[in-house]
Amino acid sequence: MRRVFRLRFARRHLEDEIDEELRFHLAMREQSLVARGMAADAARAAARKNFGDVATVRASLLTLDQERERTMQRATFVDELRQDLMYAGRMLRRNPVFTLVAVATLALGIGANTAIFALVDAALLRRLDVPQAEQLVAVGNTARVGARSSGGPRADLLSYPAYQELQRRSRSFAGILASGRTPRLFMTVESSSTEPENPRGRFVSGNYFQVLRVPAFLGRTLAADDDANVGASPVVVISHDYWTRRFDANRSAIGRTIRINGAAVTIVGVTPPGFSGEIVGTNADLWIPLTMQPVIMANDNLLKDPRDAWLLLLGRLAPRHSLEQATSELVALVPRVLNDISPDADFTRSVANLTRSDIYVGDGSRGFSSVRATFFAPLLTLMAGVAVLLLIVCANVANLLLARATARGREMTLRVALGAARWRIVRQLLTESALLSLLGAIAGVFVGWWGSKLLLDIGADGGGAIALNVAVSMPVALFTMVASLLAVVLFGLAPALTTSRVNLASAMRAQSRSVAGGRSSRGGRTSPTRVVIAAQVALSLLLLVGAGVLVRSMWSLQNADIGMDREHLLIANLDARAGGYTGERFPPLVQALVQRMQRLPGVVAVSASENGLFNGTESTSTMSFEGFVARTQDDSLANWDEVGPGYAHAIGSRIIEGRDLTAADHGGTGGGSVLINQTAAQFFFHGGPAVGRRMQMDSMFYEVVGVITDAQDHDLRAMPVRRVYFPLLTPLEIGPLRIIIRTSGNPAAMAPVVRREIIAQDRNLPIYGVEPLSTLLRYSIRAERLVAKLAVGFGALALLLASIGLYGVMSYAISQRTGEIGVRMALGARPADVVRMVLWDATRVVLVGLGVGLVISLFAMRLLSGQLYGVGALDPAAVITAVAVLLMSGALAAFVPAMRGARVPPVEALRES
Amino acid sequence: MLDQEGGLVRGTLDLLILKAVSWGPRHGYAVAEWIHYITERELLVEEGPLYTALHRLEKKGWLASEWGYSEANRRARFYRLSASGRRQLRTEASLWDRYARAVGRALAASVPSTA
Repeated sequence: MRRVFRLRFARRHLEDEIDEELRFHLAMREQSLVARGMAADAARAAARKNFGDVATVRASLLTLDQERERTMQRATFVDELRQDLMYAGRMLRRNPVFTLVAVATLALGIGANTAIFALVDAALLRRLDVPQAEQLVAVGNTARVGARSSGGPRADLLSYPAYQELQRRSRSFAGILASGRTPRLFMTVESSSTEPENPRGRFVSGNYFQVLRVPAFLGRTLAADDDANVGASPVVVISHDYWTRRFDANRSAIGRTIRINGAAVTIVGVTPPGFSGEIVGTNADLWIPLTMQPVIMANDNLLKDPRDAWLLLLGRLAPRHSLEQATSELVALVPRVLNDISPDADFTRSVANLTRSDIYVGDGSRGFSSVRATFFAPLLTLMAGVAVLLLIVCANVANLLLARATARGREMTLRVALGAARWRIVRQLLTESALLSLLGAIAGVFVGWWGSKLLLDIGADGGGAIALNVAVSMPVALFTMVASLLAVVLFGLAPALTTSRVNLASAMRAQSRSVAGGRSSRGGRTSPTRVVIAAQVALSLLLLVGAGVLVRSMWSLQNADIGMDREHLLIANLDARAGGYTGERFPPLVQALVQRMQRLPGVVAVSASENGLFNGTESTSTMSFEGFVARTQDDSLANWDEVGPGYAHAIGSRIIEGRDLTAADHGGTGGGSVLINQTAAQFFFHGGPAVGRRMQMDSMFYEVVGVITDAQDHDLRAMPVRRVYFPLLTPLEIGPLRIIIRTSGNPAAMAPVVRREIIAQDRNLPIYGVEPLSTLLRYSIRAERLVAKLAVGFGALALLLASIGLYGVMSYAISQRTGEIGVRMALGARPADVVRMVLWDATRVVLVGLGVGLVISLFAMRLLSGQLYGVGALDPAAVITAVAVLLMSGALAAFVPAMRGARVPPVEALRES
Repeated sequence: MLDQEGGLVRGTLDLLILKAVSWGPRHGYAVAEWIHYITERELLVEEGPLYTALHRLEKKGWLASEWGYSEANRRARFYRLSASGRRQLRTEASLWDRYARAVGRALAASVPSTA
């Protein structure tokens, strides 16, 4: 007690003591001088003279004493902390079951948060691991890393001529790099006869590594002159990871010649470990100079035409230039450059229509990523869900502690009686909580590390792996620390305060009875544990409703009528151009492949298209329709595809008007017949007859021969768009070719046979994949599926925790009311009455929680509505299910202790009380 | 050689204080009186520095203090030797003894060299 006093009034207190000590000395000296016969006044003066300068001595004493005091306080603090820790450790060891349950629960909560946050950090927050990443500025839509667009001018992707001009004319940058997607790469090592493999590569400008400031780990990186002349630099730089994986980290890899899609290139360098390119979510294995693109992709030069937009740019700001300056420069410069390089009047007209929002310039420090765009909203949703889960976990541990507080009531009474200050006891209890939390956090980091890997697997959903570096980085560690500190305060403070609130008098009177806990001393039933349980129920309801709504939304997506035979389509994805099938050679290839597939048993229909379904590309162009007057530029835009004979029948679409395309509509050099979808018919012909009307694209005329139902062919969530289907069987120069096979049985089972047929047709025709539509559909909603799955997981965990909490509280309440139950039964209550009484008791707590939870859900679920498909934010089915599930598990959790209470013989119950 | 604490060789006053309280708790005045008496008023010129030394020794942990009542029943601060203070007294005393004896021998010598 005295120490507390000293803490606050240390200086005053020390001064008083020094003064008293010195006064005593001077008085004694004076006295002795007087005793020797000196006059009182003279004695006082002599005593002072004898002493020396009192003020100086006093000052130095005060300094010494204050220093001593500080040292002591520090020692005391450390000492008490050690005591608290040792005591806490002993308490935790003495109750291994409690400790295990609490630590495991906390590890789950903290680990789940760490896992999700590690993903958030890796996908959304972290900067590229290059020097001064903050100086990078992205030009183009950073999500379109794998895109390529031919046609109208655009500024979300850039063409090679546009890049060259921007690099030459901009003044805000020390350098601008360009990078673009490669087709699937087939790599073989010279002088080894292994099967080709498919590394992930990227076409990059020669200054790529200079702009990023990434040095070579071995050999050299690319240099500016590596993209000076088209096809002149057959070199490649490989990543440290690929070098280790494929070349066994052997230095002799430098200088080796490898073949990429048939072209011989030399490995000139290896990048430093950890560098995986400028794209977050995909690790590049190798980098090829942009100017090698026409060599790697035979018959397809993407470097000349300003209409071939496929590059994203990353500029490094020149010294003393800001992002704002660069942005305003580029906003003005991009349209000017596009205008200057325009190949025709159409292009120039469209450039004039570009608005500010069409031009993408922004922070480039986090590189490019398509994963980021896909997972942004889902990750934030998950973050919110997992935070609620942590709250529930804290509530559970708080309840465990509160329950234990009862058991420790006597210990606390004793400590207070022995003179312990309340704040000391609170501190002791908080130390225990902190120790629990620390153990939970340590276990949680492991759970989190493992969990984030698991999340990536679930997120990839059988599709391509998501290559995020989810190492437990500094921000993640910091986050975990904050989360667990928060947990300590949340779950530790209330029990600590409750436990330490010991009323000595009543505690002594109660003697063997417990002090704090299930029922407050006021006799009411609103104990902290009940409040905590109600809160848990409320939060669980929130999670369960969220999970229910998300699952319903996912089901709607998966079962939506997409205007196609979704369960019976198999799509083979080929590259006609890379196989050498261009111009006149193209139509016979399509016909031969279609005929081969038609002969297979189990095949209902076969057709082909350029863009395919759900895995491919999209084409958009300006068109004009007979009798249709466009009011805006956008009005004359429509998506289009080139499709084979019998396409509508093959995908399982319905013909509303007219007929399907036939072999007779194909052939020739252009013009002819087209199909349009319902939306296009409505839009262009306002519901009037469409068949027989004429339309025009790229100065060629076509006649509409049929209208088919809308097919949701590339995005489940998008509204149906206007779509026009042109004949495919003409001498086209296209890369992607999709053979679409409608089967009678499971399409996946047909995949190997289809693959064999394609190889039998031409073993040099690249096959990018043979997959059922259902797989592609599932992959296209992988973010939604991830969120739904995890939300269900979180909901189940919340339910489990809330049930355990309720069970614990009801068990305790029964043990407290044994006496009362005994009296009731002695007075004639039947066991059923006792059970009913206890169940009602529990149900009330649950009902309060449900009420509060409904109100919270009402507000919280609105935030979710943007991510939902075909279901309302407060979907009645989801809410009713969640409420029912919670009520049932609440009843179940209370039923077991209720039965136990009812079975106690009255005599024993009375004796116990 | 001399410092401000009463013109004593550094450490001598400390040693005397430790010795003064080695028989039991004493207040500052009693310590002063004992030093005056035992050294025949040779060593402690001013009494103020004595208190600085007392507090310094307490900070070092060689002395502990508590409040009690003097013979005349006045409240006074009593110093007593702590365990580490007692150890310190023993070492310092033996050091001092060896030093004094060595100097004494040197001064009593009558031979100019070791040869």
